[in-house]
Amino acid sequence: MDWALGLVSLLVFPGFALMIALSFLYEWYDRKLYAGIQMRRGPLYTGPMGILQPFADFIKLMSKEDLTPRHADRRVFNSVPVIMVALMLTALTMIPVTGASGLLSFSGDIVFAIVAMTFFCVLVFLAGFSSMSRYSIIGAERAVLQLLGFEIPLMLSMVGACIFSGSVTISGIVAQQSGLWNLIGPPLLGFAIFLIAAQAELERVPFDMPEAEQEIVAGWLTEYSGRKLALIRLARNLELIFIAGLAAALYLGGPLGPSTDALAPVLFPLYFIAKTLFVILLLAFMKSIFARVRIDQMVSFAWRYLIPLSLVQIMITLIWRAL
Amino acid sequence: MGLRNWALRKSPWILHFNTGSCNGCDIELVATLTPRYDIERFGMYLRGSPRHADILLVTGPVTRQVRDRIVRIYNQMPFPKSVVAIGSCCMSGGVFSNCGKGPCYNVYAGLDQLIPVNAYIPGCPPKPEAIIDGVAKLLESMKATKRKEGTPDEPAQ
Repeated sequence: MDWALGLVSLLVFPGFALMIALSFLYEWYDRKLYAGIQMRRGPLYTGPMGILQPFADFIKLMSKEDLTPRHADRRVFNSVPVIMVALMLTALTMIPVTGASGLLSFSGDIVFAIVAMTFFCVLVFLAGFSSMSRYSIIGAERAVLQLLGFEIPLMLSMVGACIFSGSVTISGIVAQQSGLWNLIGPPLLGFAIFLIAAQAELERVPFDMPEAEQEIVAGWLTEYSGRKLALIRLARNLELIFIAGLAAALYLGGPLGPSTDALAPVLFPLYFIAKTLFVILLLAFMKSIFARVRIDQMVSFAWRYLIPLSLVQIMITLIWRAL
Repeated sequence: MGLRNWALRKSPWILHFNTGSCNGCDIELVATLTPRYDIERFGMYLRGSPRHADILLVTGPVTRQVRDRIVRIYNQMPFPKSVVAIGSCCMSGGVFSNCGKGPCYNVYAGLDQLIPVNAYIPGCPPKPEAIIDGVAKLLESMKATKRKEGTPDEPAQ
């Protein structure tokens, strides 16, 4: 029965089914917040308060005609969306939802988390490059430029949390925060850097050059339609959960919180959802109050301010540990 | 079929194309996208790429110069797709429809000469409310009609 339980926890709770359901919920939440800050209502008529809107988008895209441009590199073009979803679902098994450790936990899983995010960017590049459309290629190049700028501060901010907790496993970092969150202490600066870099990683508004709609049609997504677009959107929503979950695990104590042994299986996932929703609230706020920056501004911001700041953050953390 | 039809009606992503408009209809369409009218309530999104779009909103008289482009944009959209002609010029050629004998030498007598049109929104220019109403009526009409899906696109001339 052990393997059956494992299979259920992988496929249903807290595995793939929960994550896909949450990805729809979080997209709706993000859009509603974004609309609210712009004094709009956001999705309203699809289900109660428009809560089914992302689901309707997904079903619609799934049922639409699936086009592949004649000059595209067929094999890469068609396989990238599937690999994106698979990669993100794999990475999400490391995120702790029901306890201190995720479904998978091994020494150095935080390194795997970084690798997953980097590999996602590589997939974005492949998607744009295999489309053989000028807009897609420009978008893909911008995505790689963004990767070079923001991947390093993202890693350094995570390193700061690792040093502070004295562990390179996500479960170790979460367990260490059962008393006081990392947020209350030197990693607070790391949290801020993490959020900014995550915004760039997710290609959301101040850093959405890779798909700048007003300049390059839809960037690397330009040639994708139907089923493949649906999968890419799903993968990006899963990445949103992944980054929010990672931020919650590294800085906000993961799913841990006040509870009893009996209530823990119910309360911990709820804490997880509450904390990730808080992270998405911050991300949505950032998205709505900033306009898109220029490419040179993005690069100079990343290299001149964000990377030195993240080094300072590591230094402060080290001094704090030494004292 | 019910679920697919429901999803199609609830998530219409739009693409705007200007075939030579005087900018009157365009400004009304841009006004439709503002927070005041907030068409995201209906799940509508303005997309930049025809590959993502479900509904093509066309404004302006269809000039001979733009014929190839509008047909190509239409062909680039995946099925099922709809076309909405916004404004008098796009519907019939408008003030250009009767310069001397018949339509103007450089303007087609309406968008439906080139590609199939599903809805017409009259006005010069139509108000944002009229545009929203027209698209809403188009979505309502999708409930009843059975759409041919996956049929190869006829090269419209």
